[in-house]
Amino acid sequence: MNCEACDLKELELEHFQIREVLRCILHTIVFHRALGLVRPKDIDLELFEITYVQCGDAEVERKINEKIDQFISWVEKHPNKKSQICLSFFEVKNKQASWFTNKIERRYWEYWYINLNVAQHPKAHSSKSHHSKAVVDPGESASEDRSLRRAALEASLREVLFQIIKFVNEKKDHIPSIPVAEGVSFPYEITIPSSSDSAFGMEMFKRMLQSGHPTMLS
Amino acid sequence: MASLGNMNSEPPEIEQIITEFFAKSLHIILESRSPYASSRNYSGDPTISPSSSSSSSSSVRPRDKWFRLALRDCPAALENIDFWRQSNLEPMVVDVILVQRPHDWDPINCIPRRDLVRNTSLKEQSRNSWGSEQEEFGCVAKSERIIERWVVQYESRKNSNLGSKRSSNSNSHNLLKIQHTLYKKSIILLRSLYLTVRLLPAYKLYHDLISSQIHAFTLAHRVSSIIEPSTGREEAEMQRFCFTPVDTCCGRLCLSVLYRASLSDVSSEPSTPMSPQVIADYVGSPMADPLKRFPSLPTTCSPSSAPFSRRHSWSYDLYRASPPSVSFSPSPTHSESRASVSNPASRRLPPMSLPPHPPEMSAAHHKNTGFDEYWPSPTISPPSSASPPTNTPGSHLPKSLLRSESAPVSIPATKPVNTPALPYKHNLPPSPPLKGTGCSTSKTDKRTYQIRTGTTVDKISIGKDETGKISGLKISSGSSQPVSVSVSRSSSRLSLPDDFDGSEFSCPFITDDDDATDPYRRPESYDHKRYRHEPVEPGGVLRVPKPQGAEVGALVLMLKTAAPLCQDLSSSINLSQAPRSETWNNSIQPPDQISEAPAVQDATSSRVASSGLVFSKTTADALEELKGYKDMKNELIKQGLRSQTSINLASAAEVSSRGMTG
Repeated sequence: MNCEACDLKELELEHFQIREVLRCILHTIVFHRALGLVRPKDIDLELFEITYVQCGDAEVERKINEKIDQFISWVEKHPNKKSQICLSFFEVKNKQASWFTNKIERRYWEYWYINLNVAQHPKAHSSKSHHSKAVVDPGESASEDRSLRRAALEASLREVLFQIIKFVNEKKDHIPSIPVAEGVSFPYEITIPSSSDSAFGMEMFKRMLQSGHPTMLS
Repeated sequence: MASLGNMNSEPPEIEQIITEFFAKSLHIILESRSPYASSRNYSGDPTISPSSSSSSSSSVRPRDKWFRLALRDCPAALENIDFWRQSNLEPMVVDVILVQRPHDWDPINCIPRRDLVRNTSLKEQSRNSWGSEQEEFGCVAKSERIIERWVVQYESRKNSNLGSKRSSNSNSHNLLKIQHTLYKKSIILLRSLYLTVRLLPAYKLYHDLISSQIHAFTLAHRVSSIIEPSTGREEAEMQRFCFTPVDTCCGRLCLSVLYRASLSDVSSEPSTPMSPQVIADYVGSPMADPLKRFPSLPTTCSPSSAPFSRRHSWSYDLYRASPPSVSFSPSPTHSESRASVSNPASRRLPPMSLPPHPPEMSAAHHKNTGFDEYWPSPTISPPSSASPPTNTPGSHLPKSLLRSESAPVSIPATKPVNTPALPYKHNLPPSPPLKGTGCSTSKTDKRTYQIRTGTTVDKISIGKDETGKISGLKISSGSSQPVSVSVSRSSSRLSLPDDFDGSEFSCPFITDDDDATDPYRRPESYDHKRYRHEPVEPGGVLRVPKPQGAEVGALVLMLKTAAPLCQDLSSSINLSQAPRSETWNNSIQPPDQISEAPAVQDATSSRVASSGLVFSKTTADALEELKGYKDMKNELIKQGLRSQTSINLASAAEVSSRGMTG
């Protein structure tokens, strides 16, 4: 079976927007991969006029929140860096013990790459207003910039959500048969950049080795 | 359009999945487009509703198990789903229509923007709504626009290999696999549909609507099996999003949406500022006066608007106080639209009266065999918001209007109304002919007609609003369309929430008809009817005074004319004197005495009778007496002259004598 990957459009956002944006994207993806009986929950974003859907599973909620917390703390340690979060779905296969792997093998069948560019706009602002001798009230222009960026991010986030929708519609053949038990969703994991970028790269490389070559999409 | 023949080649299991797919799609779409269906709880922070969309009951219903997606109840969808199960998988077209209320109007021309008014004939309207109608009415802004058109359809393949091979044993396994795959893919497709309906611009409108942030519009929907050809202009304004089709055995399931990418003109318009001024209009400010003139205005409005004027006419009730006009006056509709647009604050009033539209909905359901045309009221009041109306001056009329607006939330009212009228199961008519464009049109026509009829009936009942006393009895679970529509109108005025119970509305309309035709035969038990007709007709309590007054007047006149005789005879007949003056006094004070008129009349008549005897005697002798009187008079005059001269002489003598002495 194939493995598909979806590389989502990069979002430029500020620190305080990370949590909400990530929650929106991660839950949206999981919702489309939670093929058990779900009772969907509409969530209206606070920062944007966007409503997304959660699958309403407490465990999913907990796991996503936990990973976001980890990511935020990582961002705080590594400011001004582009970062990538990977949500991957896998199948668990009981494999006969072999010399190389564990008994339980994860067969990854889908990767979602969420690309974020966390910017430090407040500082940039102060410096910019400091330099500019425009008559315009710096506070006003700053807030204007801010709202512009917010609108841009909202549009981008919407784009990303449609990207997800298109992907899940176009790529259906690689999805394994629905697991009978084990929660509402296919097994999945969320990978955030670890303390060292190289480690993150290694992790991805290992995973690619395990699951074969993912087809990279746009 | 799906072809029945090919459909038969689908295995029953697959066919069932397809059918359920249609149902679920409809459910998903309407759940987030039909304001009435919303159970979203906005009591808290409207921006955060974590548990908002989860269905209220945690129990899993069979319906929820399909595609493993538990949805909230959505009456609008459920009513159609059963129909679709019988419909041999015709395409399902769900139009989401933005009904925009005009917030300004031209009092001079008294031509409201007709946008709203057109709602009655949905079918025709949808066809024409883009070009012709707009020009016809010369509206600046369209009141109605299709903002989304969802098309769910099953396309059969011409040559289905699977279908022919299906009989073989080896294929049974294959079939099972196909079935599983289809089901899995359908689940994913429906999940993405679920998300997509929330990402499209129309969802924001819906969202604002149910959170009562925007009052200038409402969302309606129409479900049909006909893909109506859209004009190029319409297409140009809309974008298409096609979900990837899901293959079945012998065909595929297609889902697409044509949507308006920008609804900024609607969503950006702040609704709130409108409210104060409009409410003021209702209360009797100068602005209200032109409205009251409306009944006389129909001639100024184009006749074509008449059929549409009925649509949202609840506010129109306000102006029923004006003389009953059986002819249509579009203007009331206008006023109504105004009302709906204007008062956000009013919306917050607790729903005290029956919503104006449920009847309309019911009407739509009745008439629409299988097509759900659902026109929700513009306003939905979230239960949480209970701010008092800021702009409602004391008149009870505005209040009731406001109340009626908020009520629509309770859907149940429609059901009772529907049930009796429909002999068919599920409130749905038997499945319509497959390719029945013409059929559906005719149905629509019929309905339009019915609505008109209802209007007429409604109009007849005029006094009700004036008296402010409305009984729920008028709401009946109509056996006939016209009546039910008229009922709807009256229902808006109900002051008792209890009146929502459909059971109470079993009163047959026959009485209504009777009322209309023969007001005097109306049963006394229906108080409202009495009230209704009072102002219109001279009957009832008022009827008594009038004839009485006339009689008294006649009597007085008689007595007046008789008076000379009596006077002449006064000396000879004393009896007549007293009675006459008495009756005279009575007749002088009609206002106070009207209620006692019967008694007065009796007394008077008896006296008249007695005096009549006197007259008969006196008149016989009158001529002779008169002659004698004339003689007497002449004599008196002569005497008077004499005495006067003598007096003059005397006075002259006196003066002269004084002068002499002085």
